Amino acid sequence: MKHTQYPGRATKVAALVSVAVLGALMFASPVLAQETPAVTAGLLQAALVGLGYYLSNSPWILGIGGFFGLYRPLVAGLIVGLIFGDPVKGAQIGAAINLLYIGFISAGGSIPADPSVAGWVGTALALAGGLDAATAITLGVAVGLLGTLVFFTRMSVDAVFAHRADAAAENGDIGGVARANWLWPQIFLFLISFFPATIAVYAGAPVVQGAITTLQTDWPWVLRGFQIAGGLLPAIGIALNMRFIFRGSAIPFYFVGYVFAMLIGGRFFPGVTAPAIGTIVVTTAIVGAAAAWIFVSLRSERASGAREA
Amino acid sequence: MTAEMRDEGTRVSLTRGDVRRAFWLWTFFSHANYNYERLQGTAFAHAMTPIIRKLYKSPEEVKAALKRHLVFFNTEPNVGGVIHGAVIAMEEQRANGAPIDDDDINAVKSGLMGPLAGVGDSISQGTITPILLSIGIGIAAAGQPFGAILYFVLEVGIMVALAYFFWFQGYDRGREGVTAMLKSGLLDRVLTGAGVLGNMVMGALTFQFVNIYLTLSWNIDVGGGQTNLFDVNRDLLGAIMPGLLPLAFTLLTWYLIARRRVSPIWLLVAYVVIAMLAALPLLGPAGSPCSSILNPFFQPDAGCPPPPPA
Repeated sequence: MKHTQYPGRATKVAALVSVAVLGALMFASPVLAQETPAVTAGLLQAALVGLGYYLSNSPWILGIGGFFGLYRPLVAGLIVGLIFGDPVKGAQIGAAINLLYIGFISAGGSIPADPSVAGWVGTALALAGGLDAATAITLGVAVGLLGTLVFFTRMSVDAVFAHRADAAAENGDIGGVARANWLWPQIFLFLISFFPATIAVYAGAPVVQGAITTLQTDWPWVLRGFQIAGGLLPAIGIALNMRFIFRGSAIPFYFVGYVFAMLIGGRFFPGVTAPAIGTIVVTTAIVGAAAAWIFVSLRSERASGAREA
Repeated sequence: MTAEMRDEGTRVSLTRGDVRRAFWLWTFFSHANYNYERLQGTAFAHAMTPIIRKLYKSPEEVKAALKRHLVFFNTEPNVGGVIHGAVIAMEEQRANGAPIDDDDINAVKSGLMGPLAGVGDSISQGTITPILLSIGIGIAAAGQPFGAILYFVLEVGIMVALAYFFWFQGYDRGREGVTAMLKSGLLDRVLTGAGVLGNMVMGALTFQFVNIYLTLSWNIDVGGGQTNLFDVNRDLLGAIMPGLLPLAFTLLTWYLIARRRVSPIWLLVAYVVIAMLAALPLLGPAGSPCSSILNPFFQPDAGCPPPPPA
């Protein structure tokens, strides 16, 4: 986590593309919107989604309940589902979007994408547009790219409050240092997260509804493309995680894990019904924990043996 | 009165409550003012405020202590709490006259934050979170919203317990104890173990969530008016190793990101473009999703003929 990464050209281009696409959709919405929406996003519902997005980045839910909780599309999807009156569908869409970010890791002040905005705004738009879970994934990606803008803005501007803390420290003002950490940055964060998310849901819902209706009738292959992307994109999240752990003597265990999951997942035995998703991963994790234990003990035994010799 | 002049009668000591108050401040606000210049710098100072209030009375000491902890700091917030614990113990000794200067404290902070970030991220973001997420996703995807709640409760419970444990380990063992713990190779063993477990979980996730099919097939004339269906997925890849494609695809992605330094955001865009190309109806009647030129490479649509089982 030592190396701080600033937003690169790719982020800026991606953000611009996302803005352009969403902007074009918005201008085209009167043309695209041919039917009345099935689920309407009222201002109150949109604001609740905006509030949820802010909270997921805030310290208020035990700190840990933000980044490790509400920040995840799985949790966000459930709450958005409750807001729109369909928790089952909401959690399903959230779970699908979360697949992309299953290996998500944020280290050294950089994020590859924003799972939180994908979860909160993405689920809301998908529910409003009547999308199925697999199709919602790509919508989540597009929105998730936009979310990195909020993150990078925040990371850049918050340095101002560090200088405010310096000034307070110079005066020996303990409360001032504390406020520079929790109060001012949170007001700023609220402004840059709550309002964009609320507006995106309120203004975006009819647009997405219209666009999806048009796609379904005229360009069904685009929706199929979304589904295909849903099978490719989790590789990025997993690869990002592997960047930190896929090294040295641990490398073979990645392949062991893959083949083990495949064995119990029934792909080698056509007659065997595949167990639930969680079962495969949990079973692999238990075997993995045992393998880790054995591997570490063998290594330290060998090391102490070498010392004695 | 300077710190050196304190004798037993004027000794200041921290209670468990003070250390716990600092723990909660850190747990809540470690990323409240996350920024490019100091990262968790102001959060560290914020967490130390109850300690500074208790230990230092003169304005000069308070000012020095606040400035000492406002410097650049960044680690994994849960496991990394062992650093804060050790630093609190050092501040307590310093306030009671022990010869500990700013450099000693800075050395502990900047020396430990890197290694503990590595270990901490491997444990919390690299291992525990993906495991619990895949449990929750599995349950929620099957139509039980309870999966999301289960994930939230387990994840937050485990992380808070982990953070609390490491924080007090740091405080109870102090600088020497923590340094000894690191020198004993414990960190290395945990990192190695987490690497083994994490890689196995990533392997399982690759199997579970990355989906590519190659459903190319030809009818081969075998003579006598008979044709034989040759299916690449079943007869070639399936014969070598089923599921080879998702594995190779994920390794390619890892290679591009980790070795070629390709931005993941470029990849994200590129993969969506590839998926769209794959679905582009260039062959056959427009509007039929099965007529795509790249359709054979990807998972079948509901309306298209399914790939034969591998």
